[in-house]
Amino acid sequence: MGFLDHILYGFQVTFQPINFLFCGIGVLVGTLVGVLPGIGPAGAMALLLPATFRFSSTSTLILLAGIYYGVQYGGSTTSILVNIPGEASSVITCIDGYQMARQGRAGVALGIAAWGSFIAGTIANIGLMLVSIPLAHAALSFGPPEYFALMCTGLLIVTYLAQGSILKAIMMALLGIILGSIGLDVITGLPRFTLGINELTDGVGIVPLVMGLFGISEILVNLEQTLAREVYKPRIKNLWPSLSDWAQAKWAILRGSCIGFVLGILPGGGAVVATFVAYATEKKIAKEPRRFGKGAIEGVASPESANNAAAGASLIPLLSLGIPPNPIMAIFFSALLIHGIQPGPLLIRQHPDLFWGLIASLYLANILLLILNLPLISIWVKVLEIPYKILFPLILLFCLIGAYTLNNVQFDLYVMLLFGVLGWIMRKFGYEGAPLILAYVLGPMLENSLRQSLLISQGSFLIFVTRPISGIALGFAFLLLLSNLFPYFKKQRQQYESFKE
Amino acid sequence: MKLYDQTSSLFWLLVSIAVFIESIRLGIGDLHNPGRGFLTFGASGILGILAFVLLIQASFRKEALERAPLFAGTMWKRVLFVLIVLWLYAWTMPTVGYLLSTFVLMLLLFWVLEKKKIGWVLVSSALSTFLTYVVFSKWLNCQFPDGLLGF
Repeated sequence: MGFLDHILYGFQVTFQPINFLFCGIGVLVGTLVGVLPGIGPAGAMALLLPATFRFSSTSTLILLAGIYYGVQYGGSTTSILVNIPGEASSVITCIDGYQMARQGRAGVALGIAAWGSFIAGTIANIGLMLVSIPLAHAALSFGPPEYFALMCTGLLIVTYLAQGSILKAIMMALLGIILGSIGLDVITGLPRFTLGINELTDGVGIVPLVMGLFGISEILVNLEQTLAREVYKPRIKNLWPSLSDWAQAKWAILRGSCIGFVLGILPGGGAVVATFVAYATEKKIAKEPRRFGKGAIEGVASPESANNAAAGASLIPLLSLGIPPNPIMAIFFSALLIHGIQPGPLLIRQHPDLFWGLIASLYLANILLLILNLPLISIWVKVLEIPYKILFPLILLFCLIGAYTLNNVQFDLYVMLLFGVLGWIMRKFGYEGAPLILAYVLGPMLENSLRQSLLISQGSFLIFVTRPISGIALGFAFLLLLSNLFPYFKKQRQQYESFKE
Repeated sequence: MKLYDQTSSLFWLLVSIAVFIESIRLGIGDLHNPGRGFLTFGASGILGILAFVLLIQASFRKEALERAPLFAGTMWKRVLFVLIVLWLYAWTMPTVGYLLSTFVLMLLLFWVLEKKKIGWVLVSSALSTFLTYVVFSKWLNCQFPDGLLGF
């Protein structure tokens, strides 16, 4: 089969009624989740996961991808109109997007965000098709040391890019590894860290963990504060940007797409980081950097393109290497495992319907989202006006349903509540949940790779540095760790100089 | 943040010690044949070291100890109430059944923020319980417990 045949086959899969429906539901739910602060993409995916058990893995993945894409589109609406990011990946859009809205250019801001997302999403899809297959072929020659090194690097990048303290982020990653090891040991088949609780023999479920750490904790944080939310109601007109707007934004969209794509592929990268880098790049190369923060269209176009490109690109390491590069992909990874599919280099060959169907669904999702976010924008503006007193009980109920219906086990509800409280307290103490989730998912794989590598090398750690790919990956990780010390040395030097003076 | 960092680092230090001891009990094996406590032995060891580093960093930080309580100025009583309600729901739902327990849960959750409009609270609770039951149980075939009362 040629390349074009594969794409046509993908569209055949996507246009099956159930897959088409799931794609539509996915983008709708994703946009809703993006618009509403409170339940993030990870929580929404985890919530819908149990409902997909009786459907095929392809339909499930199409649904999840639709949610992920939808969130990137929907998040910009709140950033531009309310100055509150619906999602972390839309935080940076607030800066110039809200200013544009206040200047009466809300329509243009929403329009360029939607078009930028569409263009970036399409570029990322093409990249996904072109990169995944050769990477999967190359990954066939990867052994346990290479996988171990790549996963270590991914975890380190996640902690390095953490918004708060890197030390705390690494601690959370280590805690995630420990949590991931609860249950039966894969090699000996014996239980560990189960505390005598039968339900823990299967380990801590990812759905209650994610729902608790992201969903419940977010609600608890919001509940503590006054819940009044001021919605700025601009008149939304001219959703189609003018020619001069396009002229200003076109290169920003392309640059944002490229940055998003590259950062999306990197283990540990993702949509959030991509938006910050894209915005910083635009500001740096702008002829008039002062315009940024005062309603510069590039400040909306570039990050909104970057988050969509990153969303598409982050599927590459998952589908071709079997390594989830960020917590959202960790949910995808779990969904595939629940459906009995092992993500990795053989996935594309063994499940072409899933791979090509997913790619075609991303094209479809892009088009559906453009329709949802341009002509139907007024509906999402109305959604923003739903009071929190209605939203919060419903979000809590959805979290409870999601956690319970996965296995119909009462214990999962307790686990979710426990991690909800833990997540809430962690936020107060400045700890992030993302490294924990990623490490929790990667932990068992990391352990297997480490133990297998040591068995192969007969106990020598040199195996990780003598093999080129693992050596380079670990070298990069080491440099990353080392780079953290430079600001420390600089600070010490400054303190010494000031003391001398 | 100084006091918070000191407290949290001490907590993680204790967690790491507990995991470290349990890893040794499980058996760490050797480099030729790593045991089932091997990875957690390493992870808890590093966690303990980092928690200790954080404790030292925080203790030597030139910053006044933040005496303000962590929950000052927040509506923590509301959070506590919601947590108790959620825990009771998790405890009773399989026995009482989805419909009845969820109705009571929603009643209490809606009431937390809208105490004056009891009629509105009742209707919203009934509606959200019924709609979620139809969508998840009937359409999506998710299994909910019937409970002692049979509904």
